[in-house]
Amino acid sequence: MSRRAPRSATLGYALLAPSLFGVVTFLLLPMLVVVWLSLRRWDLLGPISYVGAENWRSVLTDPAFGNSLVVTVLFVAIVVPLQTALGLGVALLLARGLPGSAVFRTVYVLPWICAPLAIAVLWRWILSPTDGAVSTVLGHRIEWLTDPRSALPVTSAVVVWTNVGYVALFFLAGILAIPTQVLSAARIDGANGWQRFWRVTLPMLRPTMFFVLVTGVVSAAQVFDTVYALTGGGPGGRTDLIAHRIYDEAFGAAAIGRAAVMALVLFAVLVGVTVVQQLSFGRRVSYDLT
Amino acid sequence: MTSRNAGVYALLTIGALITLAPFGLGLLTSFTPARQFATGTPLSWPHPPTLDNYGDLGGAGFGRAAAVTTLMTAVIVVGQLSFSVLAAYAFARLEFPGRDKLFWVYVATLMVPATVTVVPLYLMMAQLGLRNTFWALVLPFVFGSPYAIFLLRQHFRTVPNDLINAARLDGANTLDVIVHVMLPASRPILVTLGLITVVSQWNNFMWPLVITSGDKWRVLTVATAALQSRYNAQWTLVMAATTVAMIPLIVLFMVFQRRIVQSIVVTGIK
Repeated sequence: MSRRAPRSATLGYALLAPSLFGVVTFLLLPMLVVVWLSLRRWDLLGPISYVGAENWRSVLTDPAFGNSLVVTVLFVAIVVPLQTALGLGVALLLARGLPGSAVFRTVYVLPWICAPLAIAVLWRWILSPTDGAVSTVLGHRIEWLTDPRSALPVTSAVVVWTNVGYVALFFLAGILAIPTQVLSAARIDGANGWQRFWRVTLPMLRPTMFFVLVTGVVSAAQVFDTVYALTGGGPGGRTDLIAHRIYDEAFGAAAIGRAAVMALVLFAVLVGVTVVQQLSFGRRVSYDLT
Repeated sequence: MTSRNAGVYALLTIGALITLAPFGLGLLTSFTPARQFATGTPLSWPHPPTLDNYGDLGGAGFGRAAAVTTLMTAVIVVGQLSFSVLAAYAFARLEFPGRDKLFWVYVATLMVPATVTVVPLYLMMAQLGLRNTFWALVLPFVFGSPYAIFLLRQHFRTVPNDLINAARLDGANTLDVIVHVMLPASRPILVTLGLITVVSQWNNFMWPLVITSGDKWRVLTVATAALQSRYNAQWTLVMAATTVAMIPLIVLFMVFQRRIVQSIVVTGIK
């Protein structure tokens, strides 16, 4: 055994080498580089110079950045509850197992398979005030995406439309995993459908709910493609989600250092959200029925 | 009970219509002659249905974009699966100093969001002189994914020792064991990971957008965005572009829909 160990070690490291190179170079190193960049000024082409905390000062007092944080929080607050509730609703309908349910399930996941960028372009036409589908059907123009009041809700709706079927898949799996005897026991005890849902199904779905909410928040907070093609962050920054702000700062305004600061703020928020959700939700997620 | 089922079907059908209508209308528009769209009502039936819009995409560089996207996706899928398999085997089946600590590092990188690494990766690629190259498109993804390694490791641990020992007795080396024992025993999870990687890479937008410029290494998502901003009002052409960007995955989805649906639940990726 002791003679074989070194050979096994060499082999182990050899097999790990490519992925370790990838993890270190393209996941860990960038996290160091982004911190380094947050203290530098770079315009994408010229030399890089050290500027100390200047980027941090200017970003943290920048109204445009503050706006994009508020917009992102609003966006997440609209998208996540809606897609979770609708996804759960769809899953409850599909879980009845009526003939044809598999076809409906497939249809509902379709938008999630497609490129979010292409989906956004499609919806941009559908909502186009002059020659879009909705305006044509309604017979008068509505400025869905350029009206400051509707831009964010409409952008959120497109993302919800994309995600509902995907979210429903997880709830469907969760519902089908609930032992039937638990629900029959509740029925024998005289619980009606409404009570069975609130007292049995929903509590049993707690682990699924936790997963759907955590991943929902983390991915909604990073939405970029949809905003890029649908509104470009407008009107007047009303849909300027944080990922779009970072992109615009880095590759529009060529202020890479400031973009690095924003990226770090986003990272801190995402880690914070995950930890808080873990603490408030994670403890009691599992039900042992054995 | 039957009226209740009718209600369920009614709701499911309304949902399906809301889901499918945008695709159907976009497809219809992509077959509509540009002149008809400009002069008539936008939703009228194509008269006559035409493929001109798709033909015009060729002139807009979509043929090349489709080829680049296909090549990029293929290289990343093959690399990511191969290197993830090697790493997962090491983590699951070998013992060496630091193994568990390294595995913990891999798992920790699952917390690193793509949005945060785009800016530093851009700088790194620029320093290496790799901006606007095929390498820049694939390098960040080709060496394996911690998540794939995580899932494969769990799977490899369940492969019975007897199978491996039997192969060893027949003189198999480690590579033989991986290729002839582990891979056949892990087919479903490999297909799952392959499909999910195809979907996420084919649809990738932000990284190709920032790291490429011009036509040379433009992928379909970037080409679609560029076309949309350039020909803003020519919706017949733009709808042909979105169709081209989406149709390969829709076909893939139709063929593998059961598998993909399972994959999503197993991996929970995105």
